[in-house]
Amino acid sequence: MKTFAELNFPGRLIAVEGLDGSGKSTQIYLVKRWLELQGLKVYFSEWNSSELVKSATSKGKKRELLTPTTFCLIHATDFADRYERHLVPLLRAGYLVLCDRYIFTAFARDVVRGCPPEWVRGIYSFAALPDLTFFFKADLNVSLQRILDGRPQLKYFEAGMDLRLSSDPYESFRIFQGRILEQYLAMSTEFDFLAIDANELVEKQQGIIRELLAQRLNLADFQRAERPELSGRAEGPPLATALITNREEPVE
Amino acid sequence: MKRLPQSHIVVPGPSRRRFYGYGIPNVELDQLAGKLIVLEGADGSGRSTQIALLVKWLEGCGHATVQVGLKRSTLVSEELARAQEGNILSRTTLSLFYATDFADQLENIILPALKAGFVVLADRYIYTLMARDMVRGMDEAWLKNLYGVALEPDAVFYLNVPPEELVQRGFAKNSALDYWESGMDLGLSRDMFDSFMKYQTMMQKTFRHLQTTYGFTIVDGLRSADALNADLRKKIGAVLAGK
Repeated sequence: MKTFAELNFPGRLIAVEGLDGSGKSTQIYLVKRWLELQGLKVYFSEWNSSELVKSATSKGKKRELLTPTTFCLIHATDFADRYERHLVPLLRAGYLVLCDRYIFTAFARDVVRGCPPEWVRGIYSFAALPDLTFFFKADLNVSLQRILDGRPQLKYFEAGMDLRLSSDPYESFRIFQGRILEQYLAMSTEFDFLAIDANELVEKQQGIIRELLAQRLNLADFQRAERPELSGRAEGPPLATALITNREEPVE
Repeated sequence: MKRLPQSHIVVPGPSRRRFYGYGIPNVELDQLAGKLIVLEGADGSGRSTQIALLVKWLEGCGHATVQVGLKRSTLVSEELARAQEGNILSRTTLSLFYATDFADQLENIILPALKAGFVVLADRYIYTLMARDMVRGMDEAWLKNLYGVALEPDAVFYLNVPPEELVQRGFAKNSALDYWESGMDLGLSRDMFDSFMKYQTMMQKTFRHLQTTYGFTIVDGLRSADALNADLRKKIGAVLAGK
């Protein structure tokens, strides 16, 4: 597997990974603002897939129809849709694409669910590797606390209830997240994760991330060209939008 | 005098079961007592007619049957049908969507039915899905890994009918050629007839290539429905008897 830089794409993909509640969404949002304010071509991938794929995924979840295999496959379908329709064209156009979660989320989650790691990796092998991956490493209890404090209603798959780890959703969530963390740690060296201590203050983490980005990328290459305001632009959806809430949403 | 249905019922022996690749987690293969029979072939090759005849025959012989086919899963069949209408999904996405549909039926219909000792008749299997993707330029090794979830059937019959005959059968049934069966998304030709001939020829070539890996039985689909069915019954009878 190669990175986008190795594949000679003009754009670069920056991914953030980590447990729910590790603060990665806040950090990627601040990175996005920093890059935008410098007038760079930046796109935050919102993980919105086509209505069609989304309809099947949410039906599968609501009706609890998914097995580890179909859970993996339907999420891979969803990812492929975003990858082929959004990420690749933007990277071809020389954008800095920021992804809140990438293939490593699937690698960790599907393997915890019992899918063979080689099979999962093979499926996602159509996707290039991120140019930079920030891994937000927080104490398991800190992450759990952030989620469980703010959001008492856990959904079936996000709590890993399908794994029959515990009949108590909170206990199930704790065990499930612990296993996902183990998977992340095991992948860290192999995929050159840049580990960020997520127990640190927001500003301190952001400072480290910005410094790393400035070191690893020639940011001036991504300068947005001056061009006249295009007509009709105001009616269309904004090119780059970030949907950030204070509360972290666990990923299903 | 009309022959009465036979009273002696053949009890099928155990199959040597394996998944093609990594398979489905936590499946006990030796508990799958039933038989999985697959019919492959293009639209118009006579698959559905043959399956209907086989069901009648198998039930007459005392075997319980279940039928599966592509795009019939609870999980994604509606969405897949809509995706095809709009032609809006890119190739990897569509490929994975089909794989999801297949896996859903494998886990929820095929495996439970085999466990319950049914003869499962599959109207197409992974080979059509792989061939379709391969003619669209998808990587064969990637597809083999993806469809490594599939269980190896007890028998696979490919009903071989040349494109010239398929097109005639298609027109005898409907007055128009199907967009996807003509491979119109590939841009082979703006002329639908030309595109159909080219696409079906590519599909046959790909099936012959897959045959070398998966070793399915190629049967002559140009014979009459009855003659073809007699041949299939003989071959399936041997499978059931464990020969």
